[in-house]
This record gives sequence, structure tokens and C-alpha cells, in this order.
Amino acid sequence: MSEALENLLTNPRIWRGQARAGDSRCKGLASGYPKLDQHLPGGGWPQHALTEILLDHYGMGELQLLMPSLARLSQPQDDSDAAWIAWIAPPFEPYPPALKQWGVNLSRVLIVRPRGGKEALWAAEQALISGNCAAVLLWSNELDDSASRRLQLAAEAGQCWAIAFRSLKALSQASAAALRIRLDVGERGTDLGILKSRGGRPAVVRDYAG
Amino acid sequence: MSIREKPPAPSREATPTPAVKQGHKPATLPLPLALADVPGTEPPLQATIPLRQLWLCVYLPALPLEALVDTTEPAAIVEEQQGVWKILLANTNAHAAGVVPGLTVNAALALLPELRLDERKPAREALLLRELAGWASKFTSFVCMDAPSLLLLEIAGSLALFGGIKALRARIVRGLDSQGFHAGIAIAPTPLAATWLARAGQKLCIRDPRNLVGRIGPLPIGCLGWPDSVTASLMGMGVTSIGEILRLPRQGFAKRFGACRLLDLDRALGRLPDPRVSYREPERFTADYELNQEESNAELLLNACRELLVRLERFLLSRQMAVQQIEFIFFHLQMPATFLPLGCAQAHRTVTHWFGLLEIKFDRLTLPAPVIAIQLCAGQGQKFVAETEVLPFKTQNGKKRNTSITQLAERLSARIGDASVHGISVVAEHRPQYAWQPRSNFEEIPHCANVPAWQLNSHAPELLAEIHRTNSLVLQRPLWVLRDPERLLVVAGVPCYQGALELIKGPERIETGWWDDNGIARDYFVAVNPAGVHLWIYRNRGRNKGSWYVHGKFG
Repeated sequence: MSEALENLLTNPRIWRGQARAGDSRCKGLASGYPKLDQHLPGGGWPQHALTEILLDHYGMGELQLLMPSLARLSQPQDDSDAAWIAWIAPPFEPYPPALKQWGVNLSRVLIVRPRGGKEALWAAEQALISGNCAAVLLWSNELDDSASRRLQLAAEAGQCWAIAFRSLKALSQASAAALRIRLDVGERGTDLGILKSRGGRPAVVRDYAG
Repeated sequence: MSIREKPPAPSREATPTPAVKQGHKPATLPLPLALADVPGTEPPLQATIPLRQLWLCVYLPALPLEALVDTTEPAAIVEEQQGVWKILLANTNAHAAGVVPGLTVNAALALLPELRLDERKPAREALLLRELAGWASKFTSFVCMDAPSLLLLEIAGSLALFGGIKALRARIVRGLDSQGFHAGIAIAPTPLAATWLARAGQKLCIRDPRNLVGRIGPLPIGCLGWPDSVTASLMGMGVTSIGEILRLPRQGFAKRFGACRLLDLDRALGRLPDPRVSYREPERFTADYELNQEESNAELLLNACRELLVRLERFLLSRQMAVQQIEFIFFHLQMPATFLPLGCAQAHRTVTHWFGLLEIKFDRLTLPAPVIAIQLCAGQGQKFVAETEVLPFKTQNGKKRNTSITQLAERLSARIGDASVHGISVVAEHRPQYAWQPRSNFEEIPHCANVPAWQLNSHAPELLAEIHRTNSLVLQRPLWVLRDPERLLVVAGVPCYQGALELIKGPERIETGWWDDNGIARDYFVAVNPAGVHLWIYRNRGRNKGSWYVHGKFG
């Protein structure tokens, strides 16, 4: 009986008040920022799930937040090929020299520029379930509850990390994402608010990079 | 010089089906085609079969019917003969009702009012025959088409591979059956002999040229395929079988019916060579699919397209080729045709691949009118390069890879456009706007050696310090750049971007480019606006001095 209960309780989807899910079996993907990792269940970004990043302006360090983990994902691991990182509908041009400075393997970057929001969602889903990508970054204003659920399922099916960038207007909308964070400008740097974290707790990380 | 056929060996060769009982009498038939000195009518001195050839003849008597009718309802093919429409062929149900070939259409309709009549379409028959020839080329390298309803396969070289004459024959019969063709098959050392045997409905297999005369002799003259006038006058002479023709004096026969008939006989018996031309399939694939009526149902049209793709795959498979581009053409009755080209980054040949692309494109295609026919044209074939598959247990932690990245890119660009899916690469160039370029192929870039050390041991606590150290050593570049720099508003000498900008780093001077007339002279700064957005801005030096531009964002 106790074993069954133990199994149930270690399920990261069950939130248990004060108990930190950090010791759960689900290991996170280290973000490269220790301050942030402390607050994330599993000690890092949730793998094979959807992460939502809400922000008002581009250029607040939203990419820097992801760069260490993306750089590591794009490198060949052990015995298998390096996986791809798909950028779907980026608002500007991702600048290769800067990506290279961060250590991203440029031969594993795929840029997709769909014509509309619906196509962006479709492309993201295709990229997620194809199994070729380690991470799919999506910029979309048309992401609603059902679309986020689709992406979440696709991320699980394709074992891929989905990241959606949305505006702060989406704050009030429901979302199926495993992790929702918002970026704000703080006094000393960019503050990061964890709004929803499956198996974790909401928190605010001041100046996450500091 | 009367007898030049050696008496054939007692027939002990393999005859797959019970031979017609005729072996006894004509086997030693003397050949008194006594031959005179009319030039051109002498038989060659020796019965020459230079090579040991073996011809398998496929005779398709019901091809006109099979080309058009695929129903069990009573149906018949009609043809105009001397101004009268007559039944050419009728299917079994119609036959049972008494509709037989040669009947006039009116008589046939009187017998069976619900009879479906179709006009004979020689073009369609020729197409089917070509397709069959293509199919038959998997059994031998030499397939010869003899219009309108004959295929000749030279099989002497294929026997060892297909396990003997019986097995090969059975395979061909099965294959024809499964495609719905009724065929007569005969095997003989010369093509004409095989043809005549097949036409006569004899399922014989003659391997030894010496047996030819004996086996062909009893065949009726109707199977020679000579003009009716010739057959009729032979009949008038009381000659009803080939054996009887062979007994006629050669000279007189040639005089009366033409030397070409005599040549036919000599060729059939192997006394003269009978060179044939092998059928060669075109190097590019084209196929049509005609619909019975105008259709606009997407599912039905897709199924038709799929059938065309199956044929394309078969075509490519037999050549070890693949194509990069194909085009579907949808024909409408009243409107100009609709074209749907499909292209891939790599050459492919499988149905599943092309069909997947087609489904995506077809979804977005609006057909102006119902479709009556579909054509598939394939582009230039390329050598097929097989992809290396990874063994399932080798993939990292059970991650299943359904498709390759090129396939994903093809799927995406099929729907959203070719130029919208690309990779990126760095160019060794100091001017920021030229320091990168998109790339369309997805092959591995040889990875540069200067990978920062920190990313290899990610969990190390000194990670952050390392990042900062690495980044402070090199010139800081933003993760976002604008394709075209945006001019900034300047208020009271301060550049503004959603509020006054504060310069926090710089200047970094980037200059020259005299070698391609796109030289620049800029001072770059890192600036921050009140909302906390970090921008990469510059000011032109020289003539346009004073105006500020934003070139990138530190995302």
C-alpha cells in the first residue's frame, strides 16, 4: 500500500503544499541560472512540456534566459545526433554571430516564417511531433487555451521542449503550459515571475541573471 | 532440296499444360515446300536459330474490353465495321444473354436492352499495353510490343533467375490475373511461332526449334494474323492449317500471296532471323487517370492521385531512381487545367512521402471546377540515394524520430512557402548586416573549435561567471537584429525608442567596406530605454551625422 502511495505522491503533477517537488523523478533541464533553477521543480526547465514566457517588449533578455540550455541542447550528446532548435515566427532576425557567442550550434537552427498565426501554430505542432527538434520556440498572438493544450500534447508526444512567447495580455487566459513565467524590468535587472509551475510553486526571482 | 528439316527429336520437352494431341502425325512432316529458283523465294540453306532464344508470347484477346469496362453488368465494346456498328467483344454476362461478337448493335440491344455499350478506344489499349510492357520488363530485359494486343518476352536468359520455365510462366500468369487481364500464353523459340500458338489458344511450350514444324503445322490459318483476303483465298483452296500451307510449293505460294507471307513462315520456323525491337520505357514518368465523371470530392481525387503515385513509385523503383519534383495537372471540362507542382529538398520516391506533401498542398488548393482527369508528370529522375537508418536501440533515451529534418522542412515549406523555412550560418565579415546569411540545405556545418568550455559542464557553479567572462572578452552582439535598421526619433539631441534612450556601453566603431561599395562608418552603442529594453543602436559618421538607428535588440 505504502509503495503505491509513494508512487502517487512522487508524481510531479500532484502538488503537495510545502513539499518541494525538487526530488521528484522528473529531472529538469538546467537553465544555467542557479537562482532560477532553485525555484523550478526538478532543478530546471520542464522537459517535454510547454513553457510560456509572457512579456511586454522584446529585448528584455528573454532569449538570454534560454540561451545556456539551448546551447547545450544543440550540441551533439553522447552517441546520438544533436537535435534541432526550431524558431517559429520570430519577431526579428535571430543574429547568428550572437547565437554563436552563446555557444549555439548554428547547423542545428531552423528558422520558420509562417504567413499567419494559424500557420505558426501548425508549424510548431509539426516541428514538435516530428521528433527532430529538441526545442521549438514559438512567437504567437493566437495561442489560446485549446492551442496551448495541443502544443503541450505535441511536446509530450515528440519529447520536445516547447517555448511560447506571448504578450502580458495573455496573463488572464487559461493555459495548459507546464510552466508560465513573466518577465518584468526590475531595479537591478530583469525580474522573473513564476506564475504557474507544474509540481512547483509560484515565486518571483529578482534579477535572475545576477 | 526439298527436305531440310531434320526429323525432330521425339517430343519429351516440358509442356506445362497437356499438349494438344497432335504430336503423332505432323512430327515427321516432310517439308515439300519445293522450292524453285524464283529469286527471293529460296529458303535459306540452313535452319538457323543463331542464339538459343525462347519467346514467351502474351496474347490479350480481351484487351479492348478490359481497357474500358470494369463492371460485371452486361457490357460490350462496339466498333464501326464498314459503316455498321458491330459488337467487337462482350463480357461474360452479355455473352450469356446471347450478345456475341459480330452482332450489330441494334440486334444486341434487342436481345439485351440494358446492355452497356462502349466505343473501342485504341489509344487507351495502347497505353495499357505499354504499361504491361513496363511491368513485364521485370521478368526480362527484352520486351517487345506487338500492337494491338501482343507482348513478346525473350525469356531464355531469365530462366535461371526465376527458377525454370514453369515457375516463370506461373508468375507471369499470376501477375496478369491479379491485374485483371485474360491472356493466352505460349512459348516457342521464335517470336512468330509463339505468337501464332498464343493466338490459337494453345498453351504450348516448345523449347527445341526442331519441334516447331510439327507443333505449328496443325494450327488453323486464322491465327496467322494475315489479312482476311489472304485467309479467305487460302480457305477457298482448301488450305485450313499452317501445315497445309507448308506443303504448298514455295514459288507458287510466293507468287500468289506475296513473298512477305513466305518470309513470315520462314521466320516462324527459324529459318530466317527475326529481329525485334525491345520496348524502352520513357525516362520520365507521366501517367493519366481518367475519371468516369466530373468529380470534386477531395477524398476521391486524392485516392486517384495516390494511385498515380503508386505507379510512379513502381516506375522509379525499377530504375533505382528518385525525383525531386512532380506535378499534378487537374483537367476540367470547361476551364483551363489546374497545376499543382510539388517539390522536395531531396529526391524521393515513396508514395507515403509524396502523398503527405500532396495532402498538405491539396488542402489549400481551390479547384475552379470539377475534375475530369488527372495527370502526373514527374521531373528528371535522379540516382536514388538510400538514407542510413539508425537502429532503434541507438537513438537517445528512446526518442523516436519519425522523419528526418529535411522531411520536416519539406512539409513545412509545402504549406507555407519555400523561402520561409531555412537555416542560418555565420559569414566571416565585420559589418554586422553581412555577418550572416540564411542557408537552405540542412547539412552539418563543420563545427568550429572555439566552443566555450562552460557549456560542456553545465551544472558547474562557476557557470555564470564563465558566461560573463566569455562574453566580456568578445564584442557584445544582440540576439535580435532588424533586417532593416530603423531610424530613431531624436528629441532634444537624445535618441528615443518608446522613451528617451540611455547609452550604457560604447561606442564600438565599425568601418569600411570599400571593396564592394557598401562601406559603412558607424558608431555602435548599447542603449536602454525606460521599459528596460536593451537596444543596439548606431550613429552614422560623416555625411549623415546625427541620425540614430536601431539595429538590434538584446533579447
